[in-house]
Amino acid sequence: MLEALSIMKWPLAACLLLPGILVYLGLHIVRREIIFVDLALAQMAALGTCVAVLLGCNLDSLGAYAWSLGLTLFGAAVFTLTRNTQRRVPQEALIGIVYVVAAAAGLLLLSRNPEGNEELRRTLVGDVLLVRPVEVGRTFALYVAIGAVHFFFRKQFLRISFEPDRAIHDGLRVRLWDFLFYGLFGLVVTSFVHIGGVLLVFSYLIVPAVCASFLVDSLTARLAVGWMTATVGSLIGLYASFSLDLPTGAAIVCALGALLLLTAAVGNAVTGRTGK
Amino acid sequence: MKMKAMRLILLATALPLCSYAKLNVVATTAEYGAIAREIGGDHVTVSTLGKPTEDPHFVDAKPSFILKLNRADVLVEGGAELEMGWLPPLLEGGRNPKLDTGKPGRVQCAAGVRLLEVPATLDRSRGDEHAAGNPHFMTDPENGKIAAKEICDSFCQVDTPSADYYRANLARFTEKIDAKLVEWQKRLAPFHGKRIVTYHNSWGYFGERFGLKIDLFLEPKPGIPPTPANLAHVKEVMKAERIGVIIVEPYLDRKTAETVAQDTGATVVDVAQFPGGVKGTEGGYIELVDYLVNSIATAFEQQKP
Repeated sequence: MLEALSIMKWPLAACLLLPGILVYLGLHIVRREIIFVDLALAQMAALGTCVAVLLGCNLDSLGAYAWSLGLTLFGAAVFTLTRNTQRRVPQEALIGIVYVVAAAAGLLLLSRNPEGNEELRRTLVGDVLLVRPVEVGRTFALYVAIGAVHFFFRKQFLRISFEPDRAIHDGLRVRLWDFLFYGLFGLVVTSFVHIGGVLLVFSYLIVPAVCASFLVDSLTARLAVGWMTATVGSLIGLYASFSLDLPTGAAIVCALGALLLLTAAVGNAVTGRTGK
Repeated sequence: MKMKAMRLILLATALPLCSYAKLNVVATTAEYGAIAREIGGDHVTVSTLGKPTEDPHFVDAKPSFILKLNRADVLVEGGAELEMGWLPPLLEGGRNPKLDTGKPGRVQCAAGVRLLEVPATLDRSRGDEHAAGNPHFMTDPENGKIAAKEICDSFCQVDTPSADYYRANLARFTEKIDAKLVEWQKRLAPFHGKRIVTYHNSWGYFGERFGLKIDLFLEPKPGIPPTPANLAHVKEVMKAERIGVIIVEPYLDRKTAETVAQDTGATVVDVAQFPGGVKGTEGGYIELVDYLVNSIATAFEQQKP
C-alpha cells in the first residue's frame, strides 16, 4: 500500500483536487443538454496543442498553452453565438461538427510531424501517471480562482443554465454571461486536457453529474453525490491501474463508467420500488 | 566460548544467504535485457521495460515501471537520446539515486560506441533527428560486444564479489560473437553492395558491418509516416536499381511495405531490433542477429537475378 501511494501520489492528488470544479460545471452542461460541448472544446484544446507542436513549441511552454486556450475560446465564442438563435439546426449538430473537424485537423497537422501519432494519442489519454507536482499545484490554483468567480456570480451563472428563458425575460444579458461561462469552461477544460487528456476530462465532467442526476434532485445534493462519485471512481481507477498495471487515465474512465452502471441500476431500483 | 560458536554458526548461515541476494537489473529494451542476462547469469534478475515488439522511441508508461526503477540496482539503457522521450519522467518517479547519471548503477551503452551520423547542425525541418547520432547501434554485433563490456563493468562495480563470474561470462559471450561473425560475414558476402529498403533509419550499423546499403526509406523524413509522393519515389528507385528486399519492424505498418513490394516484385522480411520481436529471435541477442543475417540472405537468394 505504501508503495502504491509513493508511486501514485501525484496522480492521486490530481484526481482528488482537480475534478471538483469539473463536476460542478458538468451539472451545468447536463442541464443545458449540450453534452458534447466539452468533448468539442477539449478537442479544440488538443488541436491547439497540435498547432503548437507543429510550430515547434515545447509542450510545456506558454506558447503551447496559449494556442490551446485560444482555439478553445474560439470554439466557446462559436457556441455562445449559436445557442438559441435558430431552431433550424440543433446546436448539438454544430458541436459534433466542431469536434470532428478539430480532430481531423489535428490529424492533418501532425501527419507532417514526427512523433505525430504519439502526440495524438497523448492528447486523447493524457499522462496522469507522470503528472508533475507543479502542474497539479498550478491547475488547482487556477480552479480555485475560477470557482471563486462562479461562486461570486452564482446567481447569474445558475440562472442562465437552469432557467434561461426566465433569465432572458428578466433582462439578464444572457449572451454575455454565456460567453463568460464558456470562456471559463474552456479555460478549465484546456488545463485539464494537458494532464488527463480528452477522454478523462469528458468523463469527469459528465459521468459524476449524470450519476448524481439518477439519484438526487437538488443542486447541492447533486454536487455532493457528484463529488463522491468522482472521488470513488478516481480511487478505483488509480488502484486498478497500479495493481493490474494498466494505463492510468483509461482505467479511471472505465471505473467511472462502471459507477454509472451501478448508480443507474440503483436509481432505477429505487424509483421502481416507490413507483415515483 | 558459546558466544564465539554462536557467531560462527550465524556467519556460516549468513554467508550463503548473502550470495543469493541477486542483483536487480532493469533494461530499457530487450536486447540490453538479453545481454544483461548473458553477463549476469544466475546472479541477476533482469526485467525489461519496453516490449520487443514496441517502438523504442515511445514506450507506454506503466505504474510497474516506476516500481521496477525504484527497486533496481542497475539500469541499462542505450543512451544517445533514444529513450529520451519516455525514460526521464519514469526515473523522476522512481526516485532511485543508484540510477543517477555517472553512478555505477547507470549503464549507458552508447558511451563506448562510435556513433554514426552525428549531425553537424540540428534542424527540425529535417524531421526527428537524434542530436547525438544514430542511436540504433545495437544492430551491429561489434557494438553488442561493447555494450556487454559496459554492462559487465557496471555489474563488477556494483557487485564486486561476483566480478570474476561476470568477466568469465563476458569472455564467453565475446568469443561466441567473434566466432559467429565469421559465419555471418561469409553468409552475406555474396550480397555486398546490395541495397535494402526499410521504414526508418535504424539499420545503418547492420549495413556498415555486413556491407549492405540500407539507406532507402519509406519515411520521407525521420519519424514522419510514409507519404504517397515518397512511396512513388521509392518504387521508382527500386525498379531502376532492381532492389528486391524490404525490411519491416513489427511496430510499423506492414501493409504499406507489402503494397510497395507487390508493385516492385520485392520481398518483405520481418525484422526486429530486439530479441523476441519476431518469431525465432526469442533466444537472445546472438540468436537475433543470426535470424537477421539468415532471413536477409535467404530473401536475397530468392530474388531472381
